[in-house]
Amino acid sequence: MHAVAQLIHRNKGDTLLKRFSQLAVPYIVWSVIMLLLPMVLVVFYAFTDTGNAILTFQFTLRHFVRFFTDPDFLLVLWRSLKIAFKTTVICVILGYPVAYFIANSSDRMRNMLVLAITLPTWINMLVRTYAWIGLLSKGGLFSTLLGYIGFKDVEILYTETAVLLGMVYNFLPFMILQINTSLSKMDHSLLEAAADLGANGVHSFLKVTLPLSLPGVISGISLVFLPAVSSFFIPKLLGGGQYFLIGNVIENQFITVGEWNFGSAISVIMAVIMMLSMYLVRTLELRNSGGVREA
Amino acid sequence: MKKRAFVLAAILVGTMLATAACGSKSEGKFAGQTLHIYNWGEYVGEHTLSDFEARTGAHVMMDEFESNEQMYIKVANGDAYDILVPSDYMIERLLLEDRLQPLDKSKLTCFEGMEPGVIGLPYDPDNTYCAPYFWGSVGIVYDKTKVDIKDLEEQGFGIFLNEKYKGDIYLYDSERDSFMMALKYLGYSMNTDDPDELNEAYEFLLQCVNTMQPEIVTDEIIDNMAQGRKALGLIYSGDATYVMAENEDMGYFCPETGTNLWSDCMVIPKNAENVELAHEFINFISEYDPAYDKSEYVGYTSPIAKVNEDLSGEGGEFEGIDAFIPRTGNPNDEVFNYNEETRKVIAELWSKVKIAASNAG
Repeated sequence: MHAVAQLIHRNKGDTLLKRFSQLAVPYIVWSVIMLLLPMVLVVFYAFTDTGNAILTFQFTLRHFVRFFTDPDFLLVLWRSLKIAFKTTVICVILGYPVAYFIANSSDRMRNMLVLAITLPTWINMLVRTYAWIGLLSKGGLFSTLLGYIGFKDVEILYTETAVLLGMVYNFLPFMILQINTSLSKMDHSLLEAAADLGANGVHSFLKVTLPLSLPGVISGISLVFLPAVSSFFIPKLLGGGQYFLIGNVIENQFITVGEWNFGSAISVIMAVIMMLSMYLVRTLELRNSGGVREA
Repeated sequence: MKKRAFVLAAILVGTMLATAACGSKSEGKFAGQTLHIYNWGEYVGEHTLSDFEARTGAHVMMDEFESNEQMYIKVANGDAYDILVPSDYMIERLLLEDRLQPLDKSKLTCFEGMEPGVIGLPYDPDNTYCAPYFWGSVGIVYDKTKVDIKDLEEQGFGIFLNEKYKGDIYLYDSERDSFMMALKYLGYSMNTDDPDELNEAYEFLLQCVNTMQPEIVTDEIIDNMAQGRKALGLIYSGDATYVMAENEDMGYFCPETGTNLWSDCMVIPKNAENVELAHEFINFISEYDPAYDKSEYVGYTSPIAKVNEDLSGEGGEFEGIDAFIPRTGNPNDEVFNYNEETRKVIAELWSKVKIAASNAG
């Protein structure tokens, strides 16, 4: 009797589970239509060419060959990677102390600070970037301030510095929040243990806090580097039409040139580069945490 | 708690006001109907839409685009609008692809009093499909205190290669207008499909970005020239009108070697849902008061002759601003034709110019 009751009970649980998992169906359908299908299309476009009247398309590697044989495109790609790298480094350098400060303040204070960091992201990124145009242009806040300290007629707008500034500004919150999360989750008794064993502040930071916060730094890096390398409206607005990053090249291929196949090919190349860099960062992280455990 | 009550009250009052506002509008012949317009950004007058809604009782939904190409993609993907406002060559394309329906001339009063220069243009000789909205030319906006007018008169568009003005110029980020400038300087037709001529124009633009450090902008040129940030730039006459009204040091120049005369027109696509209301809007916007409002507010040239006369005449908003009235009668001036093959070629070349510009900087 008992076994039968258990069986019935389990069956009930199974159907309940089934019912719950059915709730995921709309999401799965949604993500297939909105995420998977477009990606498949992009890959398809990248490897094809519009054909003739009989064959509507034909497979080709032409677009990839074209990209990698044109030094102009490679130069743009190189510049995009460089500026994304710079953005990420600056975000880590600026973001880590801020996140550390937030994580170590009182609960009330921490909530306030996190709110202060997230608040600007409630406003559309495009609007906030537009505001920078006014701040950076001649006669704007920055050139006026620089004028007071002796740099007359400096204009930052439409330079690489402006683009870098815009990127750091837009992506810094992601870095701070990620690092803050991993720092806040840290078990503080570990620090006490380190102190008991004779480690000073610097020592316990380097040996305990830093390694434990690395996952946050890593996910912060991916959240900053990936959008930075493919960003197109920040360079467009703050760098001007003569400042092209790879995102602008892709946008240009789709919107003005109308070469969807070539644009898709560049997108695929970018996707591969991003996956590779993420893979690199993650193996680095694994090796790092392994090293700590050995020590 | 108190705060929440306040927010609730505010929402309630807001809803009531909104319903009241809707209620007061539900009169007029087209009450309850909706007109979908797809137009350029900042291209209607201050009161255009509200006045039209008040008169007809209809509701207007207006989406905005930044370029003809952007509009084309949306329309070609099947989005239904009642009115589009594309430029000349794009109308030609839409017609070629059979996407437009003829206007019902028996319902239209808009062609009375129109400037002769803006009707019967080659892309639609009898205005079967399109009713003019704005028109103008492309030229050079320049700071009279920095640029010697003799340089402009002697060199025309060649001034964009004059190193006297290095680092002090704007190019307009549009393959069409940039190639127009280069081709016209070289003495070719802007509608050429000759690869050699196109290549020469490409070399001209390459030399410009490699030696002149231009900033390649779009609408930023309007505010920046109004503030006198640079000496000169390529600009649409309507934008030049605004710049000159804001800053009296600014002038507008069209080279003798010719330029582009462009026009933006209202058309009704085949998949329009409210054709009747679309005609009503075309008539409305071409009446004196709405046309005046729209030209005064935007700064672009109206197709209605009387409006232009009054705006550029004594005491008018644009008195003494020559950019407001596009020149007619120069045999070198041309209307842009649609040619898909050439369009692709120059779009490709222009993106190469921009990449070269960013690699040069």
